[in-house]
Amino acid sequence: MAKKELNFELNILPILDILSVLICFLLLTAVWVQMGTLDTKQAIGDNTATASSNPPSVWVSIQENGNVQLSLRDLPHQKKSVETQILKKNSQINWDQLVAQLNQFKTQWPDLKTGIIQPSAGTSYQDVIKIMDQLKQLKFEGVGLSPLGT
Amino acid sequence: MKTSFLNQNQRRSPLLEAQKLNQKSVKKVGVKELAQVLPLTSLIDAFSIIVIYLLIGTQSGGLETPLAKVNLPIATNSATVESQSAILKFEKNKYYLNDELVDARNLASKLSQLKNQSQNKQPIELMIQADQRIQYAQLDPVIKAGALAGIEKLKFAVLPPR
Repeated sequence: MAKKELNFELNILPILDILSVLICFLLLTAVWVQMGTLDTKQAIGDNTATASSNPPSVWVSIQENGNVQLSLRDLPHQKKSVETQILKKNSQINWDQLVAQLNQFKTQWPDLKTGIIQPSAGTSYQDVIKIMDQLKQLKFEGVGLSPLGT
Repeated sequence: MKTSFLNQNQRRSPLLEAQKLNQKSVKKVGVKELAQVLPLTSLIDAFSIIVIYLLIGTQSGGLETPLAKVNLPIATNSATVESQSAILKFEKNKYYLNDELVDARNLASKLSQLKNQSQNKQPIELMIQADQRIQYAQLDPVIKAGALAGIEKLKFAVLPPR
């Protein structure tokens, strides 16, 4: 009785086929969610006490009706704050005008690197993020978010 | 010796047989292998490219972070998630701190507890994941609790525009 041959060579062609099909399937069905973050630095404890050395900042107050109040504080060689109001457009924030105004501030005062957002209770979270995003785009280094009732 | 490794090239090989064209006629002339029949090198090249692509695709986004089942807001100038931070999710009007349900009134104490537990009491970061349609009033307790707990850095989770 002849002995059966135990050694055999693995046929890799079908394995390669399966692998390639699997990789294609995974690539097509994969959902690539690349999450990012918008970072804010909150003033806590002693940080608020150093009022004398506050850097120039822009305060973006969003009102319930969609109007936005911009106020520039602690500007060099200027005692009073500069106030500007941006009226709503179609019962929403007038984004074009807001961006243009922030751009103008940044051009006029290049040292302006701090932005504080003061939303109202009814302000949508997406709008808050959108303003933060605009400030980041305009190279504001310190972006803060003010709690309600301050 | 039948099992000697020296005789391996004499064994029947389906792969080698598949690489030979017109086997009957070739047998007469002599064994002539045609490497072009099975382009294994190019297949391996393609697989390595896919593997590199997958590796870059999964690692460029920084750390892998568990995502809440909410529609995160969209922002273009976001930073990648580079460091580990505590995650606070706001889902279905409930707050979850690192997947643990927390009452809004206990947020500050839980956050300060978390801060005290951190190694060497280093300043911790808090990542906030919330739906883009919520109102700021629902997020305000988190901001206040963060300030009370002494957390300076808040990170708002966003998605890039499609």
